[in-house]
Amino acid sequence: MALKQELPSDVVNTPIRKRVTDLDHAGGDTGAMQVFASLRDGNVVLDGPVGCHVMPAVAVINYTDSIPYLQNVTCSELSENEVTIAGTLGVLKEKVARADVPGRQVFIVSTPMSELIGAAWTTVDEDVKGSPLFFNAQSLDDDEWYARDRALLFLWQNREHFVRAPDAPPRPKPSGKSVNVIGPTYGCFNSYSDIAELKRLLAGIGAQVNLIYPFEAASYDTAALADATATIVMYKEFGSSLAREVGLPTFAAPFGLEDTTAFLRGLAKTLDLEAQAEAFIALEKKTTLAAWQDIWRSTHSDFFANSPIAIVAPPAYKDGLERYLGGELGLPIAYSAYRTGPQSAPSEAVREALANASPSPMLIFGSINERMIVAQEKLPSRFYQASFPGAVVRRATGTPFMGYAGAVWLLQTVCEVLFDTLFANLPTSYAPPQRAEKPTAEVMRDGQGIAVEGGKGQNSVVTWTDEAKALSEKVVKRVPFFVRVSVTKKMRAEAEKLARERGGTVDVAVVEEVVAAYRPRS
Amino acid sequence: MCPAFGAIRNLLRMEDAMPIVISSGDGCMYGHTFVAHFYVANRPIFSPGVSSQMWAKGSVFDELKAMVIEMAEKHQPSLIPICSLCVSDTVGLPFELLPKQIGNTEIVYVPLPAYSVHTHAKAKDIVVDSLVWRLPSQRKARSGVNLIGEVFPSDPIRIDEVLRRMGSHVNTHVPGPRWADYVAMVDGSLNAPLHPFYSESVKRMKMKQGLPFVEGAPVGIAGTYAWIRSVGEALGLDPAVVETVAVDERDKVKAAMADYPLSGLTFMVAGYEGHEFLLVRLLLEAGASVPYLSTSVNTNPLARTEEAWLRERGCTVLYGANFDDEIGALQDHAYDCVIGTTPLCSHAKELGIPSIYYTNAMATRSLMFAEGASDVLSLMLSTYRSKERYHKIASFFSETGTPAQTYSSWSPKIDLTEHLIANDAFVPDPAR
Repeated sequence: MALKQELPSDVVNTPIRKRVTDLDHAGGDTGAMQVFASLRDGNVVLDGPVGCHVMPAVAVINYTDSIPYLQNVTCSELSENEVTIAGTLGVLKEKVARADVPGRQVFIVSTPMSELIGAAWTTVDEDVKGSPLFFNAQSLDDDEWYARDRALLFLWQNREHFVRAPDAPPRPKPSGKSVNVIGPTYGCFNSYSDIAELKRLLAGIGAQVNLIYPFEAASYDTAALADATATIVMYKEFGSSLAREVGLPTFAAPFGLEDTTAFLRGLAKTLDLEAQAEAFIALEKKTTLAAWQDIWRSTHSDFFANSPIAIVAPPAYKDGLERYLGGELGLPIAYSAYRTGPQSAPSEAVREALANASPSPMLIFGSINERMIVAQEKLPSRFYQASFPGAVVRRATGTPFMGYAGAVWLLQTVCEVLFDTLFANLPTSYAPPQRAEKPTAEVMRDGQGIAVEGGKGQNSVVTWTDEAKALSEKVVKRVPFFVRVSVTKKMRAEAEKLARERGGTVDVAVVEEVVAAYRPRS
Repeated sequence: MCPAFGAIRNLLRMEDAMPIVISSGDGCMYGHTFVAHFYVANRPIFSPGVSSQMWAKGSVFDELKAMVIEMAEKHQPSLIPICSLCVSDTVGLPFELLPKQIGNTEIVYVPLPAYSVHTHAKAKDIVVDSLVWRLPSQRKARSGVNLIGEVFPSDPIRIDEVLRRMGSHVNTHVPGPRWADYVAMVDGSLNAPLHPFYSESVKRMKMKQGLPFVEGAPVGIAGTYAWIRSVGEALGLDPAVVETVAVDERDKVKAAMADYPLSGLTFMVAGYEGHEFLLVRLLLEAGASVPYLSTSVNTNPLARTEEAWLRERGCTVLYGANFDDEIGALQDHAYDCVIGTTPLCSHAKELGIPSIYYTNAMATRSLMFAEGASDVLSLMLSTYRSKERYHKIASFFSETGTPAQTYSSWSPKIDLTEHLIANDAFVPDPAR
């Protein structure tokens, strides 16, 4: 389970793209801001125009982290004067002076605008401990993930610079059983639940948390990262550079039963907690995972082999979901792609793959970009959010993707989507029943009108042309397998109803008309 | 699940019917609405409220009558079927005092005391029987085949295509979405119950409407050939043409099955739908061994030929089977794959055997002709191939690290309580 040592640029960094549609990641300034602002004592001054502040720290943060705005982030509010004549130093100094209050560490973060005009940050005095630090976010070139990775490394490199708050409680002595968790920062999808699950797992095997870094740490805690015995890197997207510098045995956060079990055993070996870990795993099987075993033994899981899914997410989630849902649960992976990183798939490629998948995935894990593709391409697929961008509230800690609890939550989610899909395709909708035209006895006395082959009567027998049959089979193949029988029934009923009005034959035109009118309810 | 639901689900799927369910109480009603809204139809179920006081006073019937009249006058559906479940059927409401018609609406009593209906399959038979009993004996010149039984929606179209090549056609198919589908039955010249459990309906139609019937369904190599031949014979079609079509379809099934060799694999099949026989037929023809088949359906004259065919090929057939029988049979052989009832599959999964719930697996597929054969057999093969995954998970959850495989000689008279006690089911687990 030890994490493969990779340079950050192997994992992230934005390739040069000729054309961008529906971008899936923020820039370097946002990533760096999210790292520094996560620190308990961090104050961030963005050196840029007002948009570089309100967009990430007011608008977006409200939909990624459900925080109305970040109170410890401010901005130099560059205007025409600074950009064209004065440079940013004057306004910046003023803002930094206001942010630089006792007990707070100020981080100045560049933005594309200040980088463009070559702002003169060198005049900031960095030699005095606790004085404001400047971070060049390289935001014209780097993406949020690469910037997070660099920002974390930057904190480690400046660990001697930070001043411990006088009222900070003393740190416990290294116990040999404590662990760092590197990641998350603000803006990491579902991180609140995933941290809670990692903490639960660590407590379960008798390990202690040294630092959840940077999210539950202060700048002056940085040097204490070295006190731990092992490090967990939550995301493949960032954090491994810092972990490498700290130099402890490193583990990746786990997804699914196999991963989690191997993770717990590996970590326990490093911490010399093997007996506790085995006892914990055994107990989990009877508690947390009892739900998993029950669901898996239920008929719910019968549909997995025929319910293809697609996953479009940053590397940790994409790989983790693929291993767990595809490998362990056996859901066919119709399509999967990285969002973010050098291998990131452009939206157009994702769109083409999702729209042409046959059968369409029953469920698509992704961001709002994939959600829009589902809507625009009228895919019968259900959408479930598994990455940003996209407005979502994930602050309750009961929805993890990682660990044993994550395995249960994801299994439950897949089943709920199955049930939802079923409901949306139930054959009869609520409507008053069709009214009878005549009493049955009268209909029967008349003789005609029922079962008259090729007739136009309401009850005539209908024939299908070969082309119409072929077309309907093609259409039905696009529908998730799980509800194919309902959809086939519905289509047949509608087509035959139309045909009865028009002469008793279902031809291609009739099928096309029925298909055009058909939209699964959601 | 309650056997009566087999009937309620088919009636709820009729677009011009408004079924009334006289439940045996709120628990009963809750169960039926729960499953109906889960997978049958997104529409309401109507019921007169019941309580001991209402039963004692006899006011349930008054309430029912008022409801029927109001619904018929307001909505004028073609049909109001009145499903009478355990309590009302035992109390014995005077259904004959209800009007048979109100305006254009037919009111039909459907007796569904679950304690004597036993299976879904039987309840479906009762629906067809009750509805068709209302119809006159004959109406006009007869032609075509009435298909009876729930099949994959494209199956009737395929059957129609084959019949047309021999000079006949499908007349109607029930259970259907419209009252007219049932009314049309009296215009057909032959009943083809595709599942054996429609025995009461076809017997009564033979009696009242004088309609003959043929057994079986076009499933598998021999089954497809035999069914086409017997339909041709019953309808008096040109024997040469019938033979050509039958041979042609048989060869297509044969070719399709060649892609999915199952020889060397052992399957167990257990269900309560009544068409388990057809699946086993396919499995056997594909080379698999199926030492055990059980069905909740009781022995049935329409299934005798099929049953004999299966027995000749080494399959033990058990009617009216229950969970104990199935668990016992599971211990009898080393199965590669189980297609079974919910509790059986759950148990098989614990043992690390790939398994799928019969209804989930079969309701979404055609079984018939070449397409059906390849559809079903590919599912069987892919289920078997997931063996590794099942084994891994079962190992993870078992105490010993390997699935709790226990082979012992099977006694079909295992007592369920004994079985659970032996498995420590009643010992409280301190971890929970």
